[in-house]
Amino acid sequence: MTPVLILALLTGAVLFGVGVYGALSQTNLVMIMMGVELILAGALVNLVAFWRFLHPEVYSGQMFVLVVMTVMAVEMAVGFGVATARFRAKGSVEMEEAEDLKG
Amino acid sequence: MYIQAFFVAVFGLAAIGFGVVVFRTSSMVRSALALLFSQTAVGCMFLAMQSEFLGVLQIMMMATEMSIMAIFMVMFMMDPGGLGGMDMSHQKRFSLGAGGIAAATAIAVALLSDWGPVTAEAPDAAMQTRELGFEMLGRSMLIFETAAVTILTAMIAATATAIPAREPANHDHKETSR
Repeated sequence: MTPVLILALLTGAVLFGVGVYGALSQTNLVMIMMGVELILAGALVNLVAFWRFLHPEVYSGQMFVLVVMTVMAVEMAVGFGVATARFRAKGSVEMEEAEDLKG
Repeated sequence: MYIQAFFVAVFGLAAIGFGVVVFRTSSMVRSALALLFSQTAVGCMFLAMQSEFLGVLQIMMMATEMSIMAIFMVMFMMDPGGLGGMDMSHQKRFSLGAGGIAAATAIAVALLSDWGPVTAEAPDAAMQTRELGFEMLGRSMLIFETAAVTILTAMIAATATAIPAREPANHDHKETSR
């Protein structure tokens, strides 16, 4: 087993853990989105490592990375849309004050 | 192999370090910049793992995304500079436990699994880009097109959500003004 694969998987695991901490501990919508970004970054590291060290001849692995990057972009777009609507309606994006998503 | 391991380890540590800084600093601009550096370090890890196209794509995409995020942070946060010393976190112990358990589980899976034989050589950058192009416009075309339509739908939905609601037309006022 190559140490580089293990190093990459460990990095992905720790990034995932840091992201879970951030997404659960923050009260602000934008900060929660940052936690989700770190979770997805951890998944990306694992996917690239699996493609590179286990199946470099199968390009579905790289395609999967592109799909996760799409999910990151969609999450940001929808998150900022909700944040803008929320800020316009209530003047704050603090999630502890949010009981519903109605604008 | 050792040089590759060295660079993957250095960029991995940088990604984790900046990822931790995101939730430890009070300044929201610093937070966004730390996330930008963390994602850039992830992109550099891709480059170190000989995945050039994805590495450059990650760096370019995240540079744009995090710059936009920094602008939104300054727009929406009550204390964007962090000078007021506000604490914007809750359930810290539970979150720390959940994050620790998630990381420990993923580390255990990484260390205890048998990943099988490892391929030492990767295709060169030009070959990778060529083959990825064939993959996207061949076998995975439906996935590629679905991703494109999903992004377009998300952009329209986000814009529709963010624009202010129209005031209902005041018919009574029109009738009286006639």
